[in-house]
Amino acid sequence: MKVSKVMTAKEAVVKFIEDGSNLMVGGFFHSISHVLTHEIIRQKKKGLTIFAASSNEHTDQLIGAGCVDRIESSYNGLEVFGPSYCYRRAIESSIPHKVEIEDYTNFTMMARFMAGSLGIPYVPVNSMKGSDLLRHTAWKGENKAKLMKDPFGSGFDHVLVPALQPEVGYFHVQRADKEGNCQMWGILGDAPWSVRSCKKVIVSCEEIVSREIIGRDPNRTILPGYKVVAVVEAPFGAHPKNCQGYYDVDRPFMKDYIKKSKTAEGWQEFMDEWVYSVSDRDEYIQKYINTFGMRRFLDLKAHDFSSSSVNYGF
Amino acid sequence: MKHKYTNFTQQEMMAVAAAREIKDGEIVIIGTGLPLLAAFLAQKTTAPNIITLYESGAYDCKPVRTPSSVVDSVLAPGSAQTASLLEGLGYVHAGDIDVGFLGGAQIDKHGNLNTQVIGDYRAPKVRFPGSGGSNDIGVGCKRTIVMMAHLKQRFPEKVDFITTPGFFNGGKERETYGFVGGGPSVVISNMGLLRFDAETREMYLASYHPGVSIEQIKENTGWDLKVAKDVHETEPPDPEVIRILRDECDPDGLYLKKE
Repeated sequence: MKVSKVMTAKEAVVKFIEDGSNLMVGGFFHSISHVLTHEIIRQKKKGLTIFAASSNEHTDQLIGAGCVDRIESSYNGLEVFGPSYCYRRAIESSIPHKVEIEDYTNFTMMARFMAGSLGIPYVPVNSMKGSDLLRHTAWKGENKAKLMKDPFGSGFDHVLVPALQPEVGYFHVQRADKEGNCQMWGILGDAPWSVRSCKKVIVSCEEIVSREIIGRDPNRTILPGYKVVAVVEAPFGAHPKNCQGYYDVDRPFMKDYIKKSKTAEGWQEFMDEWVYSVSDRDEYIQKYINTFGMRRFLDLKAHDFSSSSVNYGF
Repeated sequence: MKHKYTNFTQQEMMAVAAAREIKDGEIVIIGTGLPLLAAFLAQKTTAPNIITLYESGAYDCKPVRTPSSVVDSVLAPGSAQTASLLEGLGYVHAGDIDVGFLGGAQIDKHGNLNTQVIGDYRAPKVRFPGSGGSNDIGVGCKRTIVMMAHLKQRFPEKVDFITTPGFFNGGKERETYGFVGGGPSVVISNMGLLRFDAETREMYLASYHPGVSIEQIKENTGWDLKVAKDVHETEPPDPEVIRILRDECDPDGLYLKKE
């Protein structure tokens, strides 16, 4: 009998995320683990270096809360919703403190995660070549990326980017079992490579299911349990972002965040209300329903578009 | 009833001009906003057999409502593949994708784009989101279509920071890098259509949108913009095309603003 890795968000963050960690922050605009992000903020983690292909409002909140010193990513913004104001305040005016950023591209970040996942030390790419992304660097200096003559004789130079193997990472999926076998479907975004590259992974999920359910559809497993150190059951754990098959993005809520985060004071007000004054996700859901009503909560629920099953028989 | 569609906004002109640049059967990587509407419009008019790809990994999507994001859950049901960002941009990096859309804070005379900073890189006056997939699309797609608001500070002679290379300093410089992608083929602004000289790779004005003068465009460009010998007015959109754009591509008014 394998040991259960099931624990609360609070326990997982206390146990596995230390000040100064190299932390992979999973999620590409959707299926973002807000449940774990908010817990990291409440526990006032400091000095984090965060890694993400593209970072969104969870990173913005970690920056605003003063948890982050350095970022390696390709994009910091909230897509159609607007800019990441905490990120801009940190870089343009050192509020709450200066944050350094090492800029890559989405593909090069993914190539770095892939290389880390496979134990490949670095990977040659065409992206970044000739651009100022290659010329300018923050703290990594010449180790950000290197230009190398193709040893196989194409005559061209290639950009080598170093593999990433963050100490710990976290992300959100639809379901996992208590050993940490994670299943995700729909758009994968930065998964599976971002999480596979991490030495340890904390996963939050909509549902914990039995090992037998996982075994009914093993192709759906994007991360094997051996990587996972903690499994946190958190329905609605990605809200206000969408989680395929569970709920849609909460546009008014996102718009409200953008509006309030324009100023440091407004941002603090939002965080006091939705992060600092609630102790866990259950309380968050209850607060959401009390504030906006059950109707709006239920309206977020996904429509049914179930897949046809396949025969795994032998 | 039809008169309602005879007027059009600058934004709508841009979406229509972009749709005309997509050829039937092509594979097109799109983001949100006007590029998405341009691809949808092309699909519903002149290019029904194009395949849409989103960098998030969604391929050949059949969304039943206008997606508000490249990870909108509506993109998955009915799509031919939902993979990851590594595949979405990997197909681009491999040189398999025909057309990509780009935008940015600044574009220069030779089509180089800046989505990074205004001012000094280490202590910027304004910090933008960064490349995202822009650089990858710019070096990997067979050609790119750039959509920009036409303002002097956004069309400088040289960008503050090259996030996504166009033709560098012009001429054959881009070719020395061995990119699989060919670079920008057109810049669609709210004022006109700009293309690149085949030899010098310098941007020139190919057509001006209805209601805009060549003089206005030159005034809003940060260098002495050359004008094509056969410069002409951009063909105005057909009212039926405007109807499809508004009522079928963006019925909820997610992207199109009323002017």
